[in-house]
Amino acid sequence: MLETIVQAVINGLLIGGIYALVSIGVTLIFGVVKIVNFAQGEFVMVGMYITYFLATQFGLDPILSLVVSMPVLFVVGVLIQHTLIRRVLGLNDLPQIFLTFALSLLLMNLALMLLTANYRTVHTWYSDEALHFAGLYVPVAKLIAFILAMFLSGLLWVFLHATDLGKAMRAASQNREVAQLMGINPHRVFAVALGIALALAGAAGSLLMPFYPAYPLVGQVFVLMAFVAVVLGTLGNVIGALVASLLMGVAESFGIQFIGADSGLIVVFLMLLTMLAVRPGGLAGGRRR
Amino acid sequence: MMGIRGWGSVVLIIVVAVMLALPLVVKNSFAIEIFIRVLLFAFIGSAWNLLGGYAKQLSLGHAAFFGLGAYTSTLMQIDLGISPWIGMVTGAAVALMASLPIGWLCFRLRGPYFAIATIATANVLMLVFLKFRDFAWGAEGTTIPNLGHAPLMMQFETKIPYYYIVLGLLAIALLVTWWIERSRVGYYLVAIGEDEDAAEAVGVDVPKVKRNIYMISAFLTGMAGTFYTQYIYFIDPQTAFNFNISIEAALVSIVGGVGTLWGPVIGTILLETTSALLQSWLGNSIGGVQLTVYALILMAVILWRPTGIMGYLVEMYGRRIHTSPAEAG
Repeated sequence: MLETIVQAVINGLLIGGIYALVSIGVTLIFGVVKIVNFAQGEFVMVGMYITYFLATQFGLDPILSLVVSMPVLFVVGVLIQHTLIRRVLGLNDLPQIFLTFALSLLLMNLALMLLTANYRTVHTWYSDEALHFAGLYVPVAKLIAFILAMFLSGLLWVFLHATDLGKAMRAASQNREVAQLMGINPHRVFAVALGIALALAGAAGSLLMPFYPAYPLVGQVFVLMAFVAVVLGTLGNVIGALVASLLMGVAESFGIQFIGADSGLIVVFLMLLTMLAVRPGGLAGGRRR
Repeated sequence: MMGIRGWGSVVLIIVVAVMLALPLVVKNSFAIEIFIRVLLFAFIGSAWNLLGGYAKQLSLGHAAFFGLGAYTSTLMQIDLGISPWIGMVTGAAVALMASLPIGWLCFRLRGPYFAIATIATANVLMLVFLKFRDFAWGAEGTTIPNLGHAPLMMQFETKIPYYYIVLGLLAIALLVTWWIERSRVGYYLVAIGEDEDAAEAVGVDVPKVKRNIYMISAFLTGMAGTFYTQYIYFIDPQTAFNFNISIEAALVSIVGGVGTLWGPVIGTILLETTSALLQSWLGNSIGGVQLTVYALILMAVILWRPTGIMGYLVEMYGRRIHTSPAEAG
């Protein structure tokens, strides 16, 4: 029994690392730009297809394709900020919500149209490898993904706390007006925030590819998880999102282990709804913006 | 000389007459099917518009009420032999009751987080119906027993009666909207949509108004669920709680013009006509075409015409009124 529980915790933490990359992106955009990016999951999907393409066309290892997927999605993020999001800043909720929502619909259905609904997988030499110890089982691909996800999250934390640009981003997220008075260019900061967030989604896509299939709707799984984690971890808080994502991963894994293979999402949604019921005060950012 | 109001009634009478006569003139069953789809989504969109358009509570989970309405009437019909006509009202009442706990949870959040919470509730309901097989056929769903011509069981041999049923439903939704628009509640809703805190400050009982409008919106959406199941003779969790229903309810209203009586109708006509044309050009072979086009239309509306087509028409009409004396002179 104890072994089963420990195994469920390990499984949950490993996938939670990926959820963290996605939810840190969502929380970064929300914190700095004050927009909820409904399309974040679709950028994971884009990252996965980039990785798949590089692996099948050039034989590039999915982990190494991080060096392509991250910069590409960074540029996409900057472009999206300049061409789309910039135009709805300062407007009411409706355009802000439905612009990124439309982007999500567009990317999903373009993928469906151009790449079909088929599942695409990349098989690497470590895809089926696993570490065994004390009756526990740790898949190597997931372990690599987890370690790199934690490394990237740490790197972001250092960037936000040790560099001028990072500090400017934190300042802009705390108080946009004052930050602007201090000479911080908001549009540059917003563009960098979008770029970093999308680069993290791209990284999640590359890291997933050795053990997770790519398909047009794959982003939905990750974005819903990220939304819950972001709300749970208090909006706009990077460390909160990280911890909450790991918790979500474990909760989902317990659902799968003890209720049934298809009940992971039920557990996660129920967590969100229960949390809304018992401590709406914890969702400070969701109530007052 | 007739006033604007007088011309409005004339146009309305003509529209009603055309809608009533349409199935008598158009015999093509593909066309009738498209009309039914347009009327159905205009109906669901109008229901969404009460909450999302006037009070600006942007729900993305109206499939929850659609599915509850559909399942209630189907369970009553198959397990108890009760007519879907009664089932439709009961299903709508179940949806209305469900809106109370759902609203209690989701109204704690605002803006995007309200939308996310409503997505979660609709998803939970779908997963529950998928998971608990003994309760309602699980993932396989069930077909509605075909009784041939049985008007009392909401079953007909041609599509035309369905057309009139959904036309009647839309008429109800439009009348409700029209009545609310002109009532005190209508002004409360618009005030809440503009600024909740300010509305609260001037004495609007915001939680109560939001709860009431959510109940009405859920009731109407539940009726649509029963109608749809009877129309397609089939139900399963994926159809009844389909996320696309939530999306389309919001989309037709936004494209047509949120917070306007005719917005959802005009939006549905545009989107469904586009989708029917695409289908006849490309066939059903390529998935994703319809929603790709919807997404592009939605983006275009948000970036260039945030008030929707209705807003555009009002603007054009207003300009004509203002410039016509100059043109005449």
